[in-house]
Amino acid sequence: MNNTASAPRLRLDNVPVADSHIHKKRWTVIRDYMYIAPAVILVAVFFISSILYTLMLSFNNWDGVNKMEFCRIDNYLALFGDSNFMISVGNTLIWVVSSLVISVLLPLLLAIMITKSSFAKLFTNFFYFPTAISATVSGVIMATLLSTYGIPYLLGQLGHPEMVKDWLAVPYVNTFVMILTGIWQGIGLNLVLYVAAFRNVDLSPIEAAMIDGVGPVKLYTKVVLPLIRPTIIVILLMSLVNSFKVFDGIWVMTKGGPYRSSETLALTMYEESFIYNRYGRGAAVAIVLTVVILIVSYFNLRNTFREE
Amino acid sequence: MKTGKKTKIIFNLILSVLSLIWISPVFFVFLNVFKTKQEYNLGSLWLLPKGNNLMANLKALVTSRVLQSMSVTLLYALSGAVLAVIIAMFAAYGLTHLNIRHKFFWFIMIYCGTVFPFQVYLIPIFKAYQKLGLYNTRIGMILFYSAICIPYSMFVFRNFFLGIDKELCESARIEGASEFMILSRIFLPMSAAPVSIVFLSQFTWCWNDLMFGLTFTKSAQTRPIMASLSIMGGGNPPALFVACIASSLPTLILFFLLNDKFQKGFAYMSK
Repeated sequence: MNNTASAPRLRLDNVPVADSHIHKKRWTVIRDYMYIAPAVILVAVFFISSILYTLMLSFNNWDGVNKMEFCRIDNYLALFGDSNFMISVGNTLIWVVSSLVISVLLPLLLAIMITKSSFAKLFTNFFYFPTAISATVSGVIMATLLSTYGIPYLLGQLGHPEMVKDWLAVPYVNTFVMILTGIWQGIGLNLVLYVAAFRNVDLSPIEAAMIDGVGPVKLYTKVVLPLIRPTIIVILLMSLVNSFKVFDGIWVMTKGGPYRSSETLALTMYEESFIYNRYGRGAAVAIVLTVVILIVSYFNLRNTFREE
Repeated sequence: MKTGKKTKIIFNLILSVLSLIWISPVFFVFLNVFKTKQEYNLGSLWLLPKGNNLMANLKALVTSRVLQSMSVTLLYALSGAVLAVIIAMFAAYGLTHLNIRHKFFWFIMIYCGTVFPFQVYLIPIFKAYQKLGLYNTRIGMILFYSAICIPYSMFVFRNFFLGIDKELCESARIEGASEFMILSRIFLPMSAAPVSIVFLSQFTWCWNDLMFGLTFTKSAQTRPIMASLSIMGGGNPPALFVACIASSLPTLILFFLLNDKFQKGFAYMSK
């Protein structure tokens, strides 16, 4: 990286007061590093050391109290033989696929309609509202509304008595109910990003296409969407990374239950470590999750730092 | 873009219906805060409230320690976001306009804090905090929240500072301005949009954090609000709803106050 920033100091170098000047220069170098030191130290102490410690821990058996025992890759082998873990992997994949499809496409369709509607700001705020309240609060609210006195009761009154049950207590169905809640809560940010992208798009190619008489569907698929491609890619990658990490909503709605049937990797890691005190295994789950996220993030980062 | 009248009316209709569906859970929350626990349990979730029990539910909120939890969370989120903004701003300035070798390496080192899934940090920080006596303390929570907000804040400020012309610093330096003066008198006043977006997003993140609050605290005096909400349980839904509304107010107010700057700031968020 080039440093034009040093230019005026070099000019000072020509002044022949050698001794005090070298001193001053060394101080300048140290001072420059002082600007990044607090951030570097905090990140190193809290996060980089944690990553290394978790990696080390994943090769050990530890209950958090007694001495750690080195066990090579037993934790990883045990995980892949554990049906709870495999269910968790399956659930995570269901979350990833559905949020990838729905939370990328649905806000896109909404944003197209919103930019063409009469009350763009009002509609955007309505859809953003659940995002402005947190995943935890939305989870608590939806869990209450889905309890037997809420939506199921209403459906029962409307003549569907078979629907009156606590859906969050039905294994596998509850995952889909929670995904719906997650979509309800989470599309706000993507929507705002899309609307902003449509606002800033260059209109001249679109007008040219319209003069040529291109139909509305073709206009979007061939002209408008390619124009906002960078935004679509950012949203796609961001949604992908985030869908692997989902924790809050599931924790307040089912705690991963019943019988650990609705856990995702983030929850399994927490449960293994802090509920069952199997820290080594918890660490192994965290490392598995890390590897997956690093692979996905690679594309994300490559996209972000294309120019550097 | 021109839109046919018919399409516009259809879109307005579809969006109206959808946004009503979207907002309906919130509507029922507001409907139910006026009820008593008994009324709610009779299955009247979807009926209009018979009386007005809002004051009693608010009283329950005051006695239920939710407010205490909210005030301690305000402390965490404010100090976490403010400290992170300051530290990240210094780092971003250093990484863009100062004489530092291997800038990209240092940048990636700080930035990687947001790349890894946060689950990796849980066990080591939990155990270290227990050893150092920082577990279940306010100072421990403030330290953690400041640290975790730094990488992303630095990323946003760096994007913004990269766009500021180096000539500007050069001429200020020739005039005899110190680096700190350049940062505080020239860069800071230009950064209203990124500062507000970073502050808003990091305050909101700390306020909404559940996992770390759940793991690093155990007593009501230190437990942040989302963790408190998650252990309240559904025993008294109207009181729970009041707590939900109260705990959403700070981030909602902040969002609508900074809304316009927020929209502008999106440019630096995702580059």
